[in-house]
Amino acid sequence: MVDLRLDNVSKRYRIRNEDATHHAGLINKLRSRLGRGKEFWALRNISLEVSHGETLGIIGQNGSGKSTVLKLLSRITAPTEGEILTRGRVAALLEVASGFHPELTGRENVFLSGSIIGMRRRAIHEKLDRIIDFAEIRPFIDLPVKRYSSGMFVRLGFAIAAHVEPDILLLDEVLAVGDTGFQNKCMRHILDLKRRGITIIFISHDLAAVERLCDRAALLHRGQLKGTGRPGDLVADYLASVEPIREDQPEDGDSALRIRNVQFYDETGLPNLQFRTGYPLRVDLEFEAAVPIRAARFRLQFFGIDNRPACEFFSGPDACLPELPAGRGAIEFFCEEVALRPGVYHVDVRVEEAEGSELAQRSRCALIHVGVGKSAPGAFYSPHTWRLASPVEPGLRPRSESSVP
Amino acid sequence: MTLCLHRFNVRYKQSLLGITWALLQPAALMLIYFVIFSVVTQMPSEGIPYPVFVFSGLLPWIYFSTAVTAATSSLVAHNSLMTKVYFPRELLPLSYVVVGVLDFGIASSLLAILMVYYGIPVGLGLLWVVPILFVETIFVVALALLSSAVQVRFRDLGFAMTLIMQLWMFASPVVYPLSRIPGRFRGLYVLNPMVGVLENFRRVVLQEASPDLRLLGISFAIATILLLASYSYFKMEEATMADIV
Repeated sequence: MVDLRLDNVSKRYRIRNEDATHHAGLINKLRSRLGRGKEFWALRNISLEVSHGETLGIIGQNGSGKSTVLKLLSRITAPTEGEILTRGRVAALLEVASGFHPELTGRENVFLSGSIIGMRRRAIHEKLDRIIDFAEIRPFIDLPVKRYSSGMFVRLGFAIAAHVEPDILLLDEVLAVGDTGFQNKCMRHILDLKRRGITIIFISHDLAAVERLCDRAALLHRGQLKGTGRPGDLVADYLASVEPIREDQPEDGDSALRIRNVQFYDETGLPNLQFRTGYPLRVDLEFEAAVPIRAARFRLQFFGIDNRPACEFFSGPDACLPELPAGRGAIEFFCEEVALRPGVYHVDVRVEEAEGSELAQRSRCALIHVGVGKSAPGAFYSPHTWRLASPVEPGLRPRSESSVP
Repeated sequence: MTLCLHRFNVRYKQSLLGITWALLQPAALMLIYFVIFSVVTQMPSEGIPYPVFVFSGLLPWIYFSTAVTAATSSLVAHNSLMTKVYFPRELLPLSYVVVGVLDFGIASSLLAILMVYYGIPVGLGLLWVVPILFVETIFVVALALLSSAVQVRFRDLGFAMTLIMQLWMFASPVVYPLSRIPGRFRGLYVLNPMVGVLENFRRVVLQEASPDLRLLGISFAIATILLLASYSYFKMEEATMADIV
């Protein structure tokens, strides 16, 4: 049974230069207002079907049209061409809190927002307690929401949306709500809805989250559907859709060192941009030196998709590389077991002199994907071993801890 | 519906006099017009004491003008809501119409007091108020939908609204009786749907007269046609409102 179908859907926006009309005369203003303006197709000929009970992830870079899909599905705006058919009630778990009235109390806002997104009064009454508990704001529920902290505000909004009980649920990076504890609660709630057979559309640029949650993924690139399939299988397509490695780095002519290429190799030793948690990763940093360089230090930095640093490898001072000869050469970086959690990471490479001044750098020189490998449910994976300890008499302990091989 | 109730609740929060404002506004206007048109100049009021005469005009007029003015900016004022959540967009302008009806109910208690004070008799003819208000509401809804949708595209309307309403009031029999309009302009004058509403409201409330059904019919016909037109315009605009609001 198909719950949702997009039939050749396109969406056109008109871009009007609203600043330019500022000094123009009335006639010009009117003409530009009624005129066609510049056209921009946010989506082009998207056809997609989602079955009942399926969880579909829609991935793509910023500007690929993800949010537009969401706006179309939630009926906030209508497609320019094509048709969208849905079965049952569609609810979007987006910023429900934006409908709050600051003067009303939390309780009143539950009724207000609930009825705006189509819940019946009686249904809200029945769920009021669960909503308040979910949002963890019981003591403040009768205060006007303008007195709420931003966290309370957002939690209440999410709690309302989460209790709509739709047939089709639209999710948009919602897991970024509140603190970690609340995020886990949201995730559990979503998984619970998924178990109950609710069709879910999850829109995110976080491939790892899509892999965790979705049965199937669709990849958008510049408003076009690049393909659908198992989330894991779309990774290569996604990586290819992201800006290719920039070869034309700004060249400082007098620099003593230039990074010529950054090449990644996976656990099988083949060039690849896909790795797995807990498995080997090798990087070759090809350079060209104008003069011999003593004590150069290499820095390999990994950033999450949110640009937060995830981890960094630094070649000195402990790892003291030998003097780099003039001419072309390569430094090999090898990591036996990658500690990165599943996800997508940007990579920066920097080279410094011993005194700390920068010799060369390549920002965002690669985008790699770390897939599910060895189990790492926490914040990171760490190499480790397990074994049966040698039997010891109760109460007796070895005097020294020299049991590590 | 919940939206309307909350809108009503919210409006007078953090104000000392609260709901009394719904009474004070028309009462103050009545006093102003009483001073201008009864004390300063002599405006005929068909034998009815001028304060109650002008109040019976102001009551339906204020309902009309505040509801339409507030509805005009309703969509634009809630743009963050519109771009993030889907709901039938007409709820926003319509909620202001409902608030207008509630305010009308409150303020009409003042009219009742005035009528008792001046000893104006009340009969069964008062029931005519219901169809008259119904016609007015059709007209209010039609304009609310139209102006709120136009305002999304052209913010000029919001600025012009105060002026439009001021001119419109003097083009309607609020502070003067219909009988003051010279006969040769009458044909054109009654095309203003508010004429049929105001004149008939006054007749059935103050004069115990039966309503002028021809006038009311004209108002009803124009209001209904406008409602159909503005509703289809609203629905057409609704599809892409969130993109340009």
